[in-house]
Amino acid sequence: MKLIKSTALMASAITISASMAFAEITILAWPGGEPEESLRQIVKSYNETAGAEIGSTAELLYFSRDNFFDKMLADSAAGSKEFDIMLTATYNVGKYAPFMEPINDLIDDDLMSVFPQSAIDSQSFEGNFYGIPTDLGVHFLYYRTDLMDELMSNADWQAKYAAISMEYMGTAMQPKAPDDWTWDDYMASALFFTKSINSDSPVRYGTVLQLKNLLFNVMIWQGIAASYGGDWMDSDGNITVDSAGYRRALELYKKLVELEATPADSLSYEYAEANGAFGTGRVAFYTQWSAAYASLVNADEFPAIAGKFDITHQPAGSVGIKTHFHALGLGINAASENKDEARAFLRYLGTENAMKMYIKGGGQPPVVGRIVSEVAADRPDMVMMSSHAGDYGKVMAGGTSSSALDIYTNQAENFTGYWGGQLDIDTAIANVEEFMANEFAN
Amino acid sequence: MSSQIKNCYRGRAVRPLKPQDWCDRLMNLREQERKSARIFLVGMCAFLALILGFPTIANIWFSFNDVTFHNLTGEGYSGLANYREALSNPKLWEALGYSLKFGVICTVFEVGFALLLVFILHPLLLRRPWLTAIIMMPMMVSPALMGVMYRLVLNEFVGIVPGYLDMIGVTMNFLSLKHIQFTVIAIEVLQWTPFAFLILLTARQSLPYDLEEAAAVDGATGMRLNIMVVLPLITPAIIIVSFIRFIDSFRVFDHIFVLTGGGPGNSTTSLSIYIYKLFFKQNDLGPAVALSMTLLIASLALLYFGLKLAVRRNDR
Repeated sequence: MKLIKSTALMASAITISASMAFAEITILAWPGGEPEESLRQIVKSYNETAGAEIGSTAELLYFSRDNFFDKMLADSAAGSKEFDIMLTATYNVGKYAPFMEPINDLIDDDLMSVFPQSAIDSQSFEGNFYGIPTDLGVHFLYYRTDLMDELMSNADWQAKYAAISMEYMGTAMQPKAPDDWTWDDYMASALFFTKSINSDSPVRYGTVLQLKNLLFNVMIWQGIAASYGGDWMDSDGNITVDSAGYRRALELYKKLVELEATPADSLSYEYAEANGAFGTGRVAFYTQWSAAYASLVNADEFPAIAGKFDITHQPAGSVGIKTHFHALGLGINAASENKDEARAFLRYLGTENAMKMYIKGGGQPPVVGRIVSEVAADRPDMVMMSSHAGDYGKVMAGGTSSSALDIYTNQAENFTGYWGGQLDIDTAIANVEEFMANEFAN
Repeated sequence: MSSQIKNCYRGRAVRPLKPQDWCDRLMNLREQERKSARIFLVGMCAFLALILGFPTIANIWFSFNDVTFHNLTGEGYSGLANYREALSNPKLWEALGYSLKFGVICTVFEVGFALLLVFILHPLLLRRPWLTAIIMMPMMVSPALMGVMYRLVLNEFVGIVPGYLDMIGVTMNFLSLKHIQFTVIAIEVLQWTPFAFLILLTARQSLPYDLEEAAAVDGATGMRLNIMVVLPLITPAIIIVSFIRFIDSFRVFDHIFVLTGGGPGNSTTSLSIYIYKLFFKQNDLGPAVALSMTLLIASLALLYFGLKLAVRRNDR
């Protein structure tokens, strides 16, 4: 009898503990840099507070950055349950929407007090909201203040600047402060600071371009096309890549490559290589994602440029200043078996406290101006990011469609082919237009 | 005793065997060997059937179906449509041309260097066989990691190789448009020459020593021995290793993809990278899988042909 009682007691204990078992959720997030560290802090905080209250714990899962979205696509398409929360981005929310759970129910007054409507829109597709925005991506012009100060004050440098611009661009130009640059000033300054053109240059290259056959590199470049009026489509849905704006922007990069104002191996460069080049102090300026700022200000990591660089908006084209922008976010995997717990985590992530923690750790969420003002002293880049996205941000027409990612990839293939001398400009543009027409027709 | 021929075998006297008995014994032994081989092969075959068989069957299914990421089970039988679509794309032929060129160049260099190393190092490795492990080291690194490593090592700003060259006044940009083809081939050759070396070294070491002695008596030593005696004898191994290396280089993916992403444009897009782009970047799952199947069949045919050639030569 005693044995039966103890067995029954043990069985009940096992049943109760099983019913109280913590539901673990796995978050597949964008790897590397400050955002990863920040998200780790938020997950830790969630597990200790809101998660503990509902008996749920969260853990992070990271793939490598290389082809991250391809791996996620394969897993999602196979109905993987290995992660409950997955990454989303403005340019691929349409592509991943069929594999995600809409989270329209999370949009309430609390959420809207943290994020502006544009941030909510950046994670929406066909009327549904899919992800809590975590990181805004815009582009800045990163430049060496010491070199620009010298250029603006040294008469000999200015004379040489005029001579070089006359020789290579057909116009004798005068240097301007980076805040006032047009893309012509960008070109002239790049040539001036390139040692093979100007042997007196204190740095080896004027600029560093990221030209690897990679879709993210096209996003950086396309701000130039947009600043000259280039867009993917017109209001009638006609493909408009074959335009003066696109050609001007393509030719600008081509000229910089041909004149070797960017390192000769730029055609294999992406984010890390460009940061490395600027960070070693051998490049005068470059355009880069806003995320690089948090790394470049780290004097331990980049001592050669410590206290010697600043950021501003990208140069202007004929229709003004434009920058590509998008937001990354976190949403729910449609195949997840822990959707309630995943929702709870996303609700926590969208709170003001969590976002402040995220910013403090180096993350760049697209939050409302009030929160940005509160962190302005510690994170000047956040202020600039916020104003840039609002003032200069440009999303290409069709840039949030389900084909956007594939179109960027096709552009990367064809445009790097042009910059690398494999294709002429007409063929590159024609290939892109044909691909886009097929994609949108499908 | 005197009327019998005595054989001593493990200390026992044994009756001499008639030719028929020898033949029977040999047949029995071979039968036993076959049985044992079958038993030992069962595990490996089951493993291969599981690991390779399932994806192969799935791919055959995909290649004849209209599959998408949203419907991986296929929307219906599409006959040879995927094969037709895949083979009619002009970019396929560009990628095929690149892969063929890459495969041939790499194979020639890898086998050539491996042969040279075998000739030079064979006497040393007989005395110090552990040195072989050092030569094998590049092969132990994963090709993708090799790409990442060289992305760093050859970088103009932080790379150790351009750094040292810079110190002696040589500016060399290994990843520039001018040198990129050389660089991707050099990395492949550096990594896989040890594989060819290992196969050829094994073939060299399996040659009977009395042959070398006989050649030496006839005055063939050093390089003459290698060219006149060793080279003809290890030719079957050279043929096999050449075929294996060609197939492997032909389907190169990892380090090129890490270093250049197949670009600029399509200038370093191999057939494997092309298939990958077709699958993931253009969402043409059916044609991509159809091409994979075609590549698999071509590789198997090539390997079969190579083996046959080597065996025929060996039998001569």
